Amino acid sequence: MRLAITGSAMRSSLGDTVETYKALLAGESGRQPLRYVAPAGVNVRHGYHVDAAGPERPYRASAWLAECVAAAAREAGLDCARQRVVVLVGTGLRELRAVERWRADGQPVDLDALHFGAAIRAALPGVEDVVTVSNACSASSHALALAADLLQLDEADAVLACGADAMTESMLAMIGRVGDESSDAVRPFDADRKGVLLGDGAVAVVVQRAPDDAAAVWLRGVGMSCDAYHETAPDPDGLRAAMADAYRRAGLHPADVGLVLAHGTGTALNDPTEAGVLAGLFTDARPGPLVTGIKGAIGHTSGSAGLMSLLVAVEALRHGQVPPVVGLRTPIPEAAPLRLVVGGPAGTDARIAQVNAFGFGGVNAVCLVEVRHER
Amino acid sequence: MSGDRVLVAAATVHVPGIAPDRLIASATEPDCGPEEAHTLLGRKGLLFKEPAVRLAMCAVHRALGLPPGRPTGPVPDAAGTAVVVSSNLGNVATVCDIVDQVRAGGLRGVSPMQAPNASSNIIASSIAIRYGFTGPNLMVCSGATGGLDAVRLGALLVRSGRAHRAVVVGAEPADEIAAGLRAAGGTLPGPPQGMAACVVLAPAEGSGGVRLHSVRRHRAPEPVPAGGPRTIRLACGSGSGDGPDLAALIGGGYGAAGVLQAALAARWLTDPATRPAGVEDAAEAVLTCGSAGDGFATARLCRDGDRT
Repeated sequence: MRLAITGSAMRSSLGDTVETYKALLAGESGRQPLRYVAPAGVNVRHGYHVDAAGPERPYRASAWLAECVAAAAREAGLDCARQRVVVLVGTGLRELRAVERWRADGQPVDLDALHFGAAIRAALPGVEDVVTVSNACSASSHALALAADLLQLDEADAVLACGADAMTESMLAMIGRVGDESSDAVRPFDADRKGVLLGDGAVAVVVQRAPDDAAAVWLRGVGMSCDAYHETAPDPDGLRAAMADAYRRAGLHPADVGLVLAHGTGTALNDPTEAGVLAGLFTDARPGPLVTGIKGAIGHTSGSAGLMSLLVAVEALRHGQVPPVVGLRTPIPEAAPLRLVVGGPAGTDARIAQVNAFGFGGVNAVCLVEVRHER
Repeated sequence: MSGDRVLVAAATVHVPGIAPDRLIASATEPDCGPEEAHTLLGRKGLLFKEPAVRLAMCAVHRALGLPPGRPTGPVPDAAGTAVVVSSNLGNVATVCDIVDQVRAGGLRGVSPMQAPNASSNIIASSIAIRYGFTGPNLMVCSGATGGLDAVRLGALLVRSGRAHRAVVVGAEPADEIAAGLRAAGGTLPGPPQGMAACVVLAPAEGSGGVRLHSVRRHRAPEPVPAGGPRTIRLACGSGSGDGPDLAALIGGGYGAAGVLQAALAARWLTDPATRPAGVEDAAEAVLTCGSAGDGFATARLCRDGDRT
């Protein structure tokens, strides 16, 4: 059964999907001085924020998500009154910022707004079936995998797979606590990388069964795995298992893929592990796909990251221009076999991309997407 | 979802701090609380584990029928087993504790060992690590419908062939932060030491056993139909249920409620000795969890072979 992506929208520190893609091509970054949280307290000085200056609005992630969901549903032409529409929201941090403000600042908290059901129902009247999946940094890609399953088993006519995250003080504190020195920027796969920084944002992708071959973007397959190994450190076997699952479901081989959107967090552990696994995967696929990533430009957007990478992959395949890894100057040795895009955009005539997302707890999800329209 | 292709292969409830026979009439030993979880799980690996994680692990440990103590390797058939957990308040204590320390200027006092607990999926990943479950691993934080949302996603993973077995867990803690948030949200308080439940879902092969027939979401509580076959009905959030005693217990389940309902129904449908007073024999169960704010989810479980 063919599955098509029929609508989408995102909001990152660099803007909507088109604005983000253009800024990525230009090598721009959405990095700013950290807002809302005292930098010295958490030992983190920068963030990739969505909102312009001003006081911190409560439930920001819900507001961005509501905009994205409405725009994606509009593009897909969904009729929520007649179609069986399910919404799966992947998030790393939920609206836990509201719990923090309740605890530390005496702000009121709405228990029902810590997840995203109410925000989605307001944005998409007629939709009841909303589930929030809190699967760390691969949450929205897990939502995409479940979306595919719901459609393949004919339990829905359309599924919106989404991501939404606004940074929390507690997660900033853990980043600042675990790193010895404060990271000044996210530098994926760079020898001088100093760790991850967080980004804000939301993303929504509509998936439907494709009635014919006319669809422009096919979701070929999404693989999932769990390392069952370590709470924070990645395990190469788990990464490989998610990739193998994705290729098996898609009926594709690594040689079919011309572009990889890497997870690429700029951390000590992720980047060499991911680079090593990718090098192994494409050993027999010389010269191998172009490899890029988005976190150097928009930060680690936590649960939203996977689907944001997916939308950038689709733009890159559509326009034949792959943006560089912002922040990458000198690749780590483990990445030497990879065709990392460094400095400026690289042209491609590829049609199929692999999109990686790995999360705390060893939760991995890998998507394969195909862009079919003629350029 | 609908269809009878998913079997409830095992079911346990783990609710410390209440009389053991209130939920499972044949139970004689009280369930261990989070501070005594080592008596079931072994001491190793529990340091820095939050109460909800400990309770969830206890429910899983018993559902798998494992002897006390930490498994020394993956349990039988661990590879490819999926884990789906529902909890809304599982890690709010850690989140607030970290912020308390930061605001007091004490970032260095935050233990890096707490880092994993800042991520809401710590319960699901901890279960996978302890028992070796390498299948899809999902953490549902979906409010009052979360328990049945988790049951539904567990069944989806089984039916789509992504997993040969899904360990579905609901867990909520009873710490001060969780209690404060419940009070602020107007949600019923839960049992005094928190709660957990587990159902193990598997493809239905052959006949017999309790099947998960369907799970669906809806906006408002639905009236109970008059007549029809005798049915076990468990509801929370809608003001109806089987007896005020059970209703209050299950009504305080929040994210754990749906899994607790499914586990109880599976046991009651199978074994007469487990049914508390007021729960009569029936061939099917209708379970509803939810709230006015979150909407509702309803599941149907059927005893295979005697459906009308």
